[in-house]
Amino acid sequence: MTWKRICEAAEIPENSVKKFEVDGVALVVVNYGEGFRAIPPICPHMEEPLAESGVVARCILTCTKHLWAWDLRTLEMQGETERPLKTYEVKQENGTLLANIEGELTYDFDDAAGDSDDDDFFK
Amino acid sequence: MNTHERDMKVTVQNKNGELTFDCGERESILYAGLRQGINLPFECATGTCGTCRARVTSGDVDVRWKDAPGGARLKPDKGDILMCQARARSDCLLRVPSELVIADTAGPAMRRGIIRGLRPLTNDVMHFDLHLTSPMSFQAGQFVVLEAAGIAGGRAYSMVNFANDVERLALVVKRKPGGRFGDLLFDNLSGEAEVEVFGPLGRAVFRPEEDRNFVCIAGGSGIAGMMSILECATQVDYFRNHKGALFFGVRTLADAFYLEQLSRYAAASHGNLDVTVALSDETIGAKLHAEFPILKLANGMVHEVAAKGMAEWDRNVIAYVAGPPIMVDSTIRSLIVGGIPIKDIRYDKFS
Repeated sequence: MTWKRICEAAEIPENSVKKFEVDGVALVVVNYGEGFRAIPPICPHMEEPLAESGVVARCILTCTKHLWAWDLRTLEMQGETERPLKTYEVKQENGTLLANIEGELTYDFDDAAGDSDDDDFFK
Repeated sequence: MNTHERDMKVTVQNKNGELTFDCGERESILYAGLRQGINLPFECATGTCGTCRARVTSGDVDVRWKDAPGGARLKPDKGDILMCQARARSDCLLRVPSELVIADTAGPAMRRGIIRGLRPLTNDVMHFDLHLTSPMSFQAGQFVVLEAAGIAGGRAYSMVNFANDVERLALVVKRKPGGRFGDLLFDNLSGEAEVEVFGPLGRAVFRPEEDRNFVCIAGGSGIAGMMSILECATQVDYFRNHKGALFFGVRTLADAFYLEQLSRYAAASHGNLDVTVALSDETIGAKLHAEFPILKLANGMVHEVAAKGMAEWDRNVIAYVAGPPIMVDSTIRSLIVGGIPIKDIRYDKFS
């Protein structure tokens, strides 16, 4: 467990998406009213920057570019969404928001070791 | 030298299997697949969105528009291409990242067309007619891609008219700085230009059998597809039993067009079609248009005017959105926050 401070919880208004960089790891934090989620800063569909393309309403995060969406309470995919969100564990301590960041979470379209067999293309 | 067109075999693979189709020398791989009813992934069909990416695992392809903005995230060293910009130079094997099926309905096709009947609508918007070499049927809200000799890539235009088996498509173009297609049209007002026409394309369609109320939110020349939807709805007297609304966003009243036609649709709607022209850069006190008083006027950005206008509406409504990218994004955001389910928001991105 490597808990790192992101910000004060009050800095992120309800139903908003805000981008942070914590020790070189870029992420966005979403306040969906019933809680917070810390996720990679891009949509797992086509790498749209969620701080700009994301909209939160009724606990659902939607990327406005192609309408991929997830219920942030359960992480359940909505509509035609084809890939799950990856998330960093978050907790609050005395109003401070912390995320468990052991390493940067990425989606498979990112360059990663071991994709030389081209299998990354399908994931 | 080949004097006749040769067909290549293109095989597309995904996790679930593979399909093979013919691809002529002069057509893009995307168009070849679509015209043979294969649902290859795409949105804009013109190199801007990146949705039709594929990875060539064997065979030769020729990429026409190498700097297409939709290709920014491809990995060319791994053989990634945009199918809309690639032509097969041999039999090819491609991987695509989505499920593939063969449609049982007629797909799009390539036709030739002659541009005629250019008619300026405002300072920078032009109506034109495209006379096709063979008739085409399409659904209200669909678009075609035009390609002209000497202009790289194609340009997408939504049909303004609606009918089955038409030989004339009514289209509208907005002139943008550096827009070569717009320049071609605006600079040749009296001449006829021959173009290639691929279509119909697009999923943001109106189908009367869905039997639901709907809202159209358009910015500028995004009104084109909405005109087709309203024409189709009017032809089947859809507004006898359904409510409809159109919010048409323009900068100033002088930038609005098709108002006479819109007032005719509203007049034929049994009072069930509400048309509002939203003016973002001009403040007007009048609530109704002076010449066409069936049309409402409002001040503000069209997505805000629409949100206000829809406040009393049931959320069970289909929302069509078209216009410049920023306007489309703002509108989608506003619809989601307003509680319209994502499955009921329809738009095609081809800007």
